[in-house]
Amino acid sequence: MSKISLLAVFIVSIITLECSQASVGGYFSENDAKKFTDILNNGLKQQEDVTNYYHAARGLSLLKKPIDVALSKNACSFLQKSFKEGTPEATFKVLNAWILLKCGGKLHNEAQVKNIKAVLEDKASSTESVRYALEVLATIGESVPNAGKIAKNIQDKLREDDSLPSLGHALHAGVLLGNEGKFVADRIQEIVVQADEIDGKLLQWEGGLTTTSLIITGLMRNSAAGQHLNQKQVDKLANYLLSRKTVPSPKGVWALLEAAEALNSYALFPVCITIDGEPFVTAEKPDLKIRVSNLFGGAVRSKTSVTPVVAQSATRISDDVVVLSKQSLNPGTTQTEFILPLKLTPGHYRIQLTAGSNTQSVESRVLGPIAVQSLEIGLMDADGSSAPKLNKLQHPQKLTSILQGDSSQHLVVKFTLSRSVHQAFIRLSSQNKEIIFVGEEEAGKLYKVEINLGNELSQSGDFDIELILGDSLATNSIRWNLGVISVSLPSASLSAKTARGPKPEINHLFRVADKRPAEVVSLLFTALTLSPILLLLILWARIGVNMGNFSVLAVPFHLGFGGILALFTLFWLKLNMFTTCAWLIPIGGFTLFFGHKLLSSIASGKKPEKADK
Amino acid sequence: MKSLIFLLFCIIVKINAQGNTLVLLDNQVIRETHSIFFKSLQDRGHTLTFKIADDSSLVLSKYGEYLYENLIIFAPTIEEFGGNLSVDTVTQFIDDGGNVLIAGNSVTGDVLRELASECGFEVDEEGSFVIDHLNFDASDEGRHTKLALSSENLIDASVIVGNKKSIKPLLYQGTGILTDSENPLVLPLLIADSTSYSYNPDQPIKEYPHAVGKDTVLVAGLQARNNARVVFSGSLAFFSDEYFTSAVSRKQGNLKSDKSGNDEVSTAITQWVFKEHGQLRVKSVTHHKEGEKAPPQDYTIMENVVYTIEIDILEKGQWKPFTANDIQLEFVRIDPFVRTTLQRKPNGQYEAKFKIPDVYGVYQFKVDYDRIGYTRLFSTTQVSVRPLEHTQYERFISCAYPYYAGAFSMMFGVFIFSIVFLHIKEDDKKSKSD
Repeated sequence: MSKISLLAVFIVSIITLECSQASVGGYFSENDAKKFTDILNNGLKQQEDVTNYYHAARGLSLLKKPIDVALSKNACSFLQKSFKEGTPEATFKVLNAWILLKCGGKLHNEAQVKNIKAVLEDKASSTESVRYALEVLATIGESVPNAGKIAKNIQDKLREDDSLPSLGHALHAGVLLGNEGKFVADRIQEIVVQADEIDGKLLQWEGGLTTTSLIITGLMRNSAAGQHLNQKQVDKLANYLLSRKTVPSPKGVWALLEAAEALNSYALFPVCITIDGEPFVTAEKPDLKIRVSNLFGGAVRSKTSVTPVVAQSATRISDDVVVLSKQSLNPGTTQTEFILPLKLTPGHYRIQLTAGSNTQSVESRVLGPIAVQSLEIGLMDADGSSAPKLNKLQHPQKLTSILQGDSSQHLVVKFTLSRSVHQAFIRLSSQNKEIIFVGEEEAGKLYKVEINLGNELSQSGDFDIELILGDSLATNSIRWNLGVISVSLPSASLSAKTARGPKPEINHLFRVADKRPAEVVSLLFTALTLSPILLLLILWARIGVNMGNFSVLAVPFHLGFGGILALFTLFWLKLNMFTTCAWLIPIGGFTLFFGHKLLSSIASGKKPEKADK
Repeated sequence: MKSLIFLLFCIIVKINAQGNTLVLLDNQVIRETHSIFFKSLQDRGHTLTFKIADDSSLVLSKYGEYLYENLIIFAPTIEEFGGNLSVDTVTQFIDDGGNVLIAGNSVTGDVLRELASECGFEVDEEGSFVIDHLNFDASDEGRHTKLALSSENLIDASVIVGNKKSIKPLLYQGTGILTDSENPLVLPLLIADSTSYSYNPDQPIKEYPHAVGKDTVLVAGLQARNNARVVFSGSLAFFSDEYFTSAVSRKQGNLKSDKSGNDEVSTAITQWVFKEHGQLRVKSVTHHKEGEKAPPQDYTIMENVVYTIEIDILEKGQWKPFTANDIQLEFVRIDPFVRTTLQRKPNGQYEAKFKIPDVYGVYQFKVDYDRIGYTRLFSTTQVSVRPLEHTQYERFISCAYPYYAGAFSMMFGVFIFSIVFLHIKEDDKKSKSD
């Protein structure tokens, strides 16, 4: 473990070391140029800010891209419409856009020129206004009136406001004033020391891309007076510009390109040394392409300053062994391309390149194939009581038979590789489930995986065994299906997962009605139940009933009694207790009264007969 | 004039439709490198407020009211939030229903790790990348950490990630996330392939990697019980302009596309996480006996009942009827007695007809619609079910005919016999006298 951390510390230190000596490790590629072109063309389409036409047109001319005729026509008509008296900056940008877009004709008038000259006369004008006013005069070819006085005005102004943008504009104004503007040269040293360094890699002036660009272009315009920046500073400025290539606005792109172009035409221009194309080589294609170019990816201005291109050293990062030194690079198919053949063992290399006096270190990988030299797979008893039965396999082969395993066994896979790899996994899978085991490197590229089937697997079933070998230095990462193992475990406990989604429908089971006898039976018994009364009636009909004692007096009682019975029947059919009781009271009273009368009359009718005896 | 004011009003309403979003960044450059992502949010009506994550003036709420509805944290390396923001306040924000989108990378800071574990995700150790030596993109720089993923690796939920079939391959570079597969609230929105693992690419594998194979979650989502949504992506680059616009090509499986599907997927994911998609509500619930209109005081066992529910979904800021064929109604007394699928009627209502069970008690009509990606819909309506009255039982049972016959023949017999008994004139006196 301590070895690893040591190594990590070492790698980190290498990286930081490399950073501190970095020159320019990139350039504005074709892709970047295309992105810039799109942004700039969009700038030409808008109709809000007149200065953006200048940014777009100037940016496209710096990229050496043609301007769409229809777009420029529209832009011209818009410029003509909206050109009026504005700030000197706007005037300058509109006039220059007019020229860059090849609109033709004269846009400005005398009043505007007069106005511009008034700005120059005015003591209160900022350095920015003065600079752009001077630029306007230069554009339309008018001479500068009273340059000495203007120079003095600027110096006074700088005493009030010596911020970076103000100084930056003064740099430009100084150049335009010619001999009278020499005073700015004294300020250059002051400006250069104000640059901020970030992480030792980038250099910029506070205020972002716009300010940095303004000062770079200003310094470069003054370069006739001497070189104010050294090569390291130029490289760091170039790095800063490269880090800002994601700017989305036309103004940002313009500022970026303007500054890049200025650096590119400087005496100590930055040289970009980068890997062209893929940063890795293989045994089949051992040529690493190196591009030595200017910031825009083109050929460097003076060829002599970047020759010879030499790989000073190549170091393997893992163990810091130098494997190559002082090898000259062969020129490639284009002027910017150089070729370094890397016939090395697979690994991760850091290459120190020099092109003339420029140095740059790049990282590259040499890839190689992995080969499985031997592989054995089989089952072993957990207690190690019997010798494991191992089957040998060659790379694309599969096991001919299914392995039968149970919880008391271990699955063992041993394999030897041609070299160490990062990923050596065994994957057991069945349907959606997969379990992955990591192979341990035992010794000398021999890997072993031992899987305790009882502990590791949660359910029985057929599992596909797969060997996955992968490495970032491998050209052929391998995924090899070894065969199938059928595992039977004693208790297959399936964990019920809380699944979302529709649940099974439930239909309530209603209680089944009790079984009833057949209707015939009940009808038969009904008939049997009714038979006594029928028998009574039949017998009465046969023997005859003498109803001699019947009197009219009995009718109300029988009606009442019948009424009560009928009420009971109704109660059974539909009435409830209360209505039944309500009816029963009058009917009952009626029946009671007449029943009493009837009985008393019957009783009184019988007494005289007894008396007769 | 009036219509103009109305129009103006509509525009203002549209602009504020999605509410305020606070975006926390590591540095202002992220705003430029992820401009397409932010622009698409702004185009959909989100008001974005950009802040540096350790800005000392950060506030989420003022006087107990949240200033923002959504929070985006695109600050993977941040070690401590500025202002009064902390893991606790962000967790409280989620507890109060706020939505959060977080992106990490291989150096995800402690504060984001802590926040992730509050939400049920575990971010792999610092310095680790998801590595796949078989499924890397052609533009990979050599460590096989820039993965090219098929859209098959997305979760099966069109409401979260859009139409899975038509999505182009995705690019991903960053760390792996572990989730507990038993946690029903956490959703693996994007997972890695079987051959992937999450480890430090510069160190040999000494320990079992934290995330291996399909268990490696790349983008994880959480819908909390209060319907607040959180998405954690292990890759900030996933949302970058570079990944949105670059081409994808992978040797394995011949995956190729001129443009990645990252743009589409991240739009869909942000639409989900900021609750533009998949938000449901119950509009109305009614129930009554079959053949009637109004709900009764109580139901009697074994009656036929009709239950109707209207469900709305929020689409582009407006509530519209929701269409699905798997909404279920349960009729519950402690346990569900009936579970039936609601049928959609032409007018957008869902209806179920069923017979109340033969067990009386206090029941609930319960609709519990919990599907991946949708807010949980839960509606209960309590009703009481009483047993039959004595008059409501079956009346003329065939096997009881002998009893009926017995009772009535007895009644008839008593009636007839009482007449005969009271009025009979015995003849034997005559015969004796004869």
